[in-house]
Amino acid sequence: MVEGWNGPLEKVDRFRYQIPRTYKREMRTDGLIFIDEPLLPLLRQDRAPEQVANVATMPGIVGQSMAMPDIHWGYGFPIGGVAAFDYEDGVISPGGIGYDINCGVRLIRTNLTESEVRPHLRALTDACFKNVPSGVGEGGLVKISRQDLSKMATDGIEWSVGKGYAWPEDPDHIEAKGRLPDADFSHVSDRATTRGKDQVGSLGAGNHFLEIQKVDRVYDERAAKALGLESVGSVAIMVHTGSRGFGHQIATDYIDVCERVVKREKIELPDLQLACAPIGSKEGQDYWKAMCCGANFAWNNRQLITFGVRNAFADVLGRPADALGMGIVYDVCHNIGKVEEHVAAGGRRKVLVHRKGATRAFPAGHPETPATYRDVGQPVLIPGDMGTCSFVLVGQPAAMDLSFGSSCHGAGRQMSRKAATRTYSANEVLQSLERRGIYVHAASRAGIVEEAPGAYKNVEDVVRVAEGAGLTKIVARMVPLGVVKG
Amino acid sequence: MRFEEIDHTADVGIRAYGQSLDELFANAAEGMSSLIADLSTVKPVGEVEVRVTADDIPTLFLRWLSELLYVHETQRFLFSSFDAHVAGTALVGHARGETIDKSRHELKLAIKAVTRHGLTVDPEKGFAEVIFDI
Repeated sequence: MVEGWNGPLEKVDRFRYQIPRTYKREMRTDGLIFIDEPLLPLLRQDRAPEQVANVATMPGIVGQSMAMPDIHWGYGFPIGGVAAFDYEDGVISPGGIGYDINCGVRLIRTNLTESEVRPHLRALTDACFKNVPSGVGEGGLVKISRQDLSKMATDGIEWSVGKGYAWPEDPDHIEAKGRLPDADFSHVSDRATTRGKDQVGSLGAGNHFLEIQKVDRVYDERAAKALGLESVGSVAIMVHTGSRGFGHQIATDYIDVCERVVKREKIELPDLQLACAPIGSKEGQDYWKAMCCGANFAWNNRQLITFGVRNAFADVLGRPADALGMGIVYDVCHNIGKVEEHVAAGGRRKVLVHRKGATRAFPAGHPETPATYRDVGQPVLIPGDMGTCSFVLVGQPAAMDLSFGSSCHGAGRQMSRKAATRTYSANEVLQSLERRGIYVHAASRAGIVEEAPGAYKNVEDVVRVAEGAGLTKIVARMVPLGVVKG
Repeated sequence: MRFEEIDHTADVGIRAYGQSLDELFANAAEGMSSLIADLSTVKPVGEVEVRVTADDIPTLFLRWLSELLYVHETQRFLFSSFDAHVAGTALVGHARGETIDKSRHELKLAIKAVTRHGLTVDPEKGFAEVIFDI
């Protein structure tokens, strides 16, 4: 049913394959996929490599059109795509950032061990489920006015600090300190506002989740110690969600705007879903400022969820969250555009990096790596599926040279939702997870089946390649104990 | 068959069948709604009217589905039956359904957006295809 891809892939080294620019006349640069031989058959299963080639045709692209080892077919841009565009001559593309602006992952540590949590696992998971709305048609933890939403979208995480939803030290452990300062709410539509104002502090559905996890294996003791994850068996909470209807609507609105720009400016694109606007154009700047609002919303969304999780733990265990050591390890975006400086094409360049299903991975010593992690590198959080494991990594210097400081973001599906529904039943999935000590509280049975562990690629393969290529270093493996799904 | 789900690894889509634009628009809307909830549990007790315009038919189709998604999400409404009347590149449509009641409705997927990827609306060939971001 799904068409495969038979185009040219030239091996650069063990972990990198190139699509030469000669593949298509319109390509302005090569495509570069971080992948190794065992993953090649999966790569060729869908048309994602063609999308890497398509992105290489876009105006102002700097360096190669890249994709991470968890690459799979997206809309226009592949999921797992990284592309940088020259700030002066390049374009910005809402589709290259994704509908779920600042979809990302947050990890919250605790000072608890598995043996302390086990007796309360069901109560803790249920309390998180109750405190954090999830699933189709659910509103958020708080309902806010349009005016408040405007302030949140502008101020970023400081909005949550001011409201008491965040601890004062939380922003230091969030990418960009939880605020993109170019946010301008006047470029956000009423429709986005209406979708967003009732959804602050909600998980959503699909592959979004909240997991109570334990450190299962430590690979790098020094880095794990810096991150507070050095003890095997210690418990942490991982949250994966984004900007909900607010971001989805901003993306929808500006894809429409950019389609008109493409026609007006006669930008030739192989796929309309790559619709874009020159970064310096009015439309490009309008989208950028709205995208920053979406990103700021998402950080507050994950913050409200953190607030709900801290309260759930405090209520069930009868101790305040600060006494449980529930600080944020880190919070990373994996659908985002960022204005950054990189050394590329022979000099230092200001570029707009699009990461769609890719995570920033800055190394030790980088000014944007939080002070507490400056010696080990910026944490990179890679969720797997609910049955196996997730990984914590840190950015490495080679990422700056090879991938605009980027790494992979997750496992990626290998089975369609329909195929998963044919293959599994909700009861089977739940029972098999329960046998392995994993308790799942899901809003819908469909969600359990579609997100069954077997429907995903092996996340270990993905992080192995990211480490092999030198982009990131594996610090710890996390396994789920309790899972909240939409 | 009015519609079927497109089977794709990472995404969800609908192929709707019909001999006219009106049929394709209505059947695609039903297909999209069937991904969100089990429609056999949704009673058509309320109705909303949707009016959209565009420069071309695929964009009109995208805006119709996006509008239904917007009403579904902001008013917590599930739709189960539809009619659509396309004249040129303007549409007047009606969607019937009811407010979400978790005790009665089996909810399935949250759809984030209607994408343009592979978007096809072809009444001569008798089908339309659309992919959703979920």
